[in-house]
Amino acid sequence: MTPISFILLIIGIPLALMLLYVFIRGSMGLRKYILTRIGLTLPMVFILASLVFFIMRVLPGDPVRSALGPRGTAEQAEHMRQALGLDKPLIVQYGIFLKDIITLNFGNSMVGGHRPIIDEMSERFPATLELIVPASILALAIGIIGGALAASRRKAAADYFLRVYSVVIYSLPIFWFGLMLQLLFGIQLKLLPVAGRIDPIIRTTLEPVTNMYLIDSLISGNWPALGSAVSHLILPTITLGLVLSGVFVRMTRINVIETLQADYIAAARARGIREKVVVYGHALKNAMIPVITLIGLQVAILLAGAVLTETIFNWPGMGGYLVQRISARDYTAVQSVIAMFALLVALISLTVDLIYSLLDPRVRY
Amino acid sequence: MKKKLQIMLAVLMVAVLALSACQPKSGEKVTIIIGVTDQIASLDPADAYATHDWELIKNIGEGLLVWKPGSSDELVPGIAQDMPEISEDGLTYTLKLKPGIKFGDGLELTAPMYAQQLNRLLTIGPSCPNDVADTLAIPYVESITAPDDETLVFQLKVPVAYFPQILADAPYLPSHPDKFPLTECVLFPEAPIYGVGPWFISQYTQNEQLVLEPNPYYEGERTPQVDQIIIRYFTDPQTLALAVQNGEIDIAWRFLDPELIDQLRGVADLTVGDIPGGAIRYLILNHTMAPMDDPNVAKAFAATIDRDAIVDTVYKGAATPLFSMDPPGFLGATDAFDTMYQSPNITLANEFLAASGYDENNKCAIELWYPPDHYGAATAAWMELIKQQLEAANFTVDLKAQEWSTYVTALTGGESYQAGVLGWFYDYPDPSNYLDPFVYNGGMGTNVTLAAEGSDYGEAINEKAQQLVDLLAQADVETDIAARTELYQQAQEIYADLVVTVPIIILGEHITYRSNIHGSDAYGAAETLNIATNLEFNYSTLTKTP
Repeated sequence: MTPISFILLIIGIPLALMLLYVFIRGSMGLRKYILTRIGLTLPMVFILASLVFFIMRVLPGDPVRSALGPRGTAEQAEHMRQALGLDKPLIVQYGIFLKDIITLNFGNSMVGGHRPIIDEMSERFPATLELIVPASILALAIGIIGGALAASRRKAAADYFLRVYSVVIYSLPIFWFGLMLQLLFGIQLKLLPVAGRIDPIIRTTLEPVTNMYLIDSLISGNWPALGSAVSHLILPTITLGLVLSGVFVRMTRINVIETLQADYIAAARARGIREKVVVYGHALKNAMIPVITLIGLQVAILLAGAVLTETIFNWPGMGGYLVQRISARDYTAVQSVIAMFALLVALISLTVDLIYSLLDPRVRY
Repeated sequence: MKKKLQIMLAVLMVAVLALSACQPKSGEKVTIIIGVTDQIASLDPADAYATHDWELIKNIGEGLLVWKPGSSDELVPGIAQDMPEISEDGLTYTLKLKPGIKFGDGLELTAPMYAQQLNRLLTIGPSCPNDVADTLAIPYVESITAPDDETLVFQLKVPVAYFPQILADAPYLPSHPDKFPLTECVLFPEAPIYGVGPWFISQYTQNEQLVLEPNPYYEGERTPQVDQIIIRYFTDPQTLALAVQNGEIDIAWRFLDPELIDQLRGVADLTVGDIPGGAIRYLILNHTMAPMDDPNVAKAFAATIDRDAIVDTVYKGAATPLFSMDPPGFLGATDAFDTMYQSPNITLANEFLAASGYDENNKCAIELWYPPDHYGAATAAWMELIKQQLEAANFTVDLKAQEWSTYVTALTGGESYQAGVLGWFYDYPDPSNYLDPFVYNGGMGTNVTLAAEGSDYGEAINEKAQQLVDLLAQADVETDIAARTELYQQAQEIYADLVVTVPIIILGEHITYRSNIHGSDAYGAAETLNIATNLEFNYSTLTKTP
């Protein structure tokens, strides 16, 4: 089993179970909604991948010439074109592409060694996942706690500070912010590593199973590897997490403020319930519903942010891979990565909608 | 609650610091970590055609002939007993293998096995993705045979004066028959990958890292001095620079931008070694497209360029002006462009332009192209400078950028662009590799010859171009060094007169290393870790002090 299939199983099984649960327990309307969403997700991925297929071929640039450079002769170019199937009519290439997508085979990369895309994704996707999951958790933690705090202390110093924080942090260019963290915690204070996912020497002792080094080191009980993976994760997570936290702070603050004006909150206060419980126990829960919707919308931004963060911290994930392959006009790799991203965004969006329906009993489908 | 949270956070911080402070047992090995922004494209000697791939192949392997570490001009026997015995007609090269040469897994290399593996170049080589064979084997080699267990015979199609240099290239290194079968190219065989050289690849993960360990059966001169070499792959030069500064890697190798090199020079504990590299930058002029088809315009162009300004302003001295496509230090190299044009010479440039009817009121309009990303950010800066220099004479320049894959097709195809920048690094250190490609068969877009069926060189566009083709063709097969030198000197003069291309700069390479890393004093260029102009990086000469 490849690491990517392993990860897909890790994500896919709970998602499938949740879908099944909601499907069985939900109303007829909800069932219809789920079926419609699944029915729409597949054509969406297909349309997006097809668009990328044609756009890549319409754009100037040629993967063969990009790979061969100035030394390549016309014969070599022709030979490579044949080997990559680029000499076939466009419609035939499209048919092959569709077959590859349906069979989740994705074909071979057109540059950089012509490796199977699935192998390249197996190496890259776990790295991206290992970055975006803790970054999302950090963004949410800061966003929700900070937003609730700002709302509960409205017009006090904490509120002003958090409002300024949310605007400033959201406006920071990720590459600049990442570089500043590298210079401070890496070069000046010598506290944290500035590049990569793990110490190269320790990496030689780690047997990858999932290619997520945190999990692999835990599975194998390799504690130095765990420590190294965690220390390498800190700066990229902070960079991506903090930048994304700004929007969550603002969203949570607004929603908690609105909720705090509701009648049931006034009733709770009148009953003498402590303010902390009112804010965090009652108001925050209800204020979270729009925030959850926002999480779904932020996934695409998170992936875009990961592209930059991966580049700054030499994090060998999907973002950096996509940038490299777009420059090299690696059609198959770009198509496959975009299809994969589209599928990911669609699945998370579906999950968020389902959670939404579970959390808010007023939502009817 | 708050207290609990604080305690939990503190415990977490301590745990992370404690865990990251733990060192595994492998930490006891003396390991050198080298950072690069290159990527592996192929590890199959019958296919690989990239500098980094060759560097790896040459460290896990050893050729019949090798370049002495720290030297760019001393070719010595590697796994061959002696230098090749060359037949009188220059068509047969015979070499004998040293006895007891073994791969890292103990398999003994015999001449028939070697010949069989080398024949992969001629059989499956042309169908491999990177297709090194069509450039470095098919045009030269007729057959490779082994009459006995220790003798290899190379039968050439035409006499080639620089064939010994080609023999030292990665495609001619022995490959392990179990990893590289006769019927297919294997770009990424599973580790371990054994060669007959000082190292073997014990593990690698694409785009992340590659680990080399000493070959226990290696008995050659390049015995490893450390237990492990790790090549760590970077995507961003800035991060590579930070990593060496932070001590996460021991050596930052190719490529760091000139500004980064400049910054690292001032950092304590780091040494920046400057290698007079073989990478050149030059401008292709399309001699069949107006106005470059006018020899006066081409000459005016050549007379205008101020190379010193480019070197000082853009490269802060980290490059050298180049006055011939045959770079300094190579056989017969001259400063032909300097002698002929003494550029920048605006008066001379305007005289050439005036001879073709161009003056202040009727300036010569040209388009100048470059790829903004491919050769680094510095290219855009010096192309802008060239535009200003040309416009100081009676030129008007439309500077245009184009994405690499479109650009290189159009420029080398010789149909779309009047002029554009390209870079070059040799396949084998010989002037032929710096001159022939720009003259023969369309000259990669210069069009001083036009590809013609049945001709090895193409059809010259004028008499001078024909003279140049004849001289270069003669030099290709001339084995007498003095005579060959003379031929290349003449060729460079005609080359400059025709302005086939305009050589601009030769870029030095830079290696940045921490103060506990050393090269070997037994070889040349210890201050650049024994890397000479040919950029051969022998990991075996490296040592690391505590």
